[in-house]
Amino acid sequence: MLKKGDFLLVILILAATVAAFAGIRYFKNDAGGHKIAVIKQDNKVIREIDLDRVEEPERITLTGKYNNKILVEKGRIRFEESDCPDLVCVHTGWLDERGSSAACLPNKVVVVIQGGNNEVDAGTY
Amino acid sequence: MYMGTIITVKAYGKNADKAADKVFKRISELEEILTVNDTGSEIDDLNDMAGIVEVKLSSDSLYVLNKAKEYAELSEGAFDVTIGPLVKAWNIGTDNPRVPLKDEIDELLKLVDFRDLKIDNANHTAYLARRGQMVDLGGIAKGYAGDEAIKVLKENGIESALVNLGGNVVVLGSKPDGNLWTVGIQNPREAAGKYLGTISVRDKAVVSSGDYERYFMKDGVRYHHILDPRTGYPADSGLISTTIIADSAIDADALSTSVFVLGLENGMKLVESLDGVEAVFVTEDKKVYVTEGLKDIFIFYQEDSKDFTYVEER
Repeated sequence: MLKKGDFLLVILILAATVAAFAGIRYFKNDAGGHKIAVIKQDNKVIREIDLDRVEEPERITLTGKYNNKILVEKGRIRFEESDCPDLVCVHTGWLDERGSSAACLPNKVVVVIQGGNNEVDAGTY
Repeated sequence: MYMGTIITVKAYGKNADKAADKVFKRISELEEILTVNDTGSEIDDLNDMAGIVEVKLSSDSLYVLNKAKEYAELSEGAFDVTIGPLVKAWNIGTDNPRVPLKDEIDELLKLVDFRDLKIDNANHTAYLARRGQMVDLGGIAKGYAGDEAIKVLKENGIESALVNLGGNVVVLGSKPDGNLWTVGIQNPREAAGKYLGTISVRDKAVVSSGDYERYFMKDGVRYHHILDPRTGYPADSGLISTTIIADSAIDADALSTSVFVLGLENGMKLVESLDGVEAVFVTEDKKVYVTEGLKDIFIFYQEDSKDFTYVEER
């Protein structure tokens, strides 16, 4: 059901470049760089993790309206557990590619691996 | 069905910042009007007054309801916004999803009939004919919001933009460098951001529906959020995902749900009968089918989608 609040929990990611002249290349991630996972809550960055440098698995617990447990392993990250109503975050599973993201909107938490697929501008879901 | 949630706006040009801000405001405004909640959106009023009296509606609501009826007729009821009572009973995507009893489903099914949604465009009113009937715009409102986002961007002089509204991708113009926008189509059995393939477009909406978006598991069964208005149960048409590419997002949104419910054969027939609409279908036996017009545009990610087979000739 459509519910109030779903629309408001909006993260407006704005990539506004100065000019739109043909030939100007907009930002692209360096494909050779490290995979950096960013965890945000209430649109504030909580943690940035270089996934390529993770040695031991780490669990990060986020409190708020609900409790999320995020599991970090070398090269990947996921919502492992959550007591939120819809569990969309946990269902999303592992994130291991640039540009992929998972969110627990009830708890206003977003995990995103920075950069993005070099060939793809956006994805459906 | 839940409204999507994360909105990404990539706008390029002089007023990009301001324009994106206005997009956000416009979408918040639409939420107030179109969502079902307990605090009295216009659609709540319509539902509350079911069987009692017609209610005055904004042109936004009227437009969406008219479109909803259009697609209900086109899909012969496979898409039906009067599905509300069943959406509520299943509660998928909330804290208490449940499998309603067969009797309850049969009872509620009697309330589902788009013909009972009476729209009076001249007087800006609509009316649900019977008590207990409920409209849920989950399969269409997000699409409308996508179109409105593009409209706002255009009005603010933006010629190149991409809006991703909870998985509904709408692009304006081409990329700033003149290339087409490349849109990934979610692999329905892999993690978010893993694509089955891509299509490159300009001035198009690309919308997917699937059993992977919102669901709950009970006794080993996956109950997903796209209910079949004819059975009252999650659609069991043999499809696990559908993607529609169309000129407008509201059309793409309503159609992706429609064809998901209709299944491969009937869904394909419907899409091929419409001008300027293309589709990607993924069946539960992991075959990928596309419409004629997509054959040259769709790029199948063979390497990343080894479980899937791209069927080029049907």
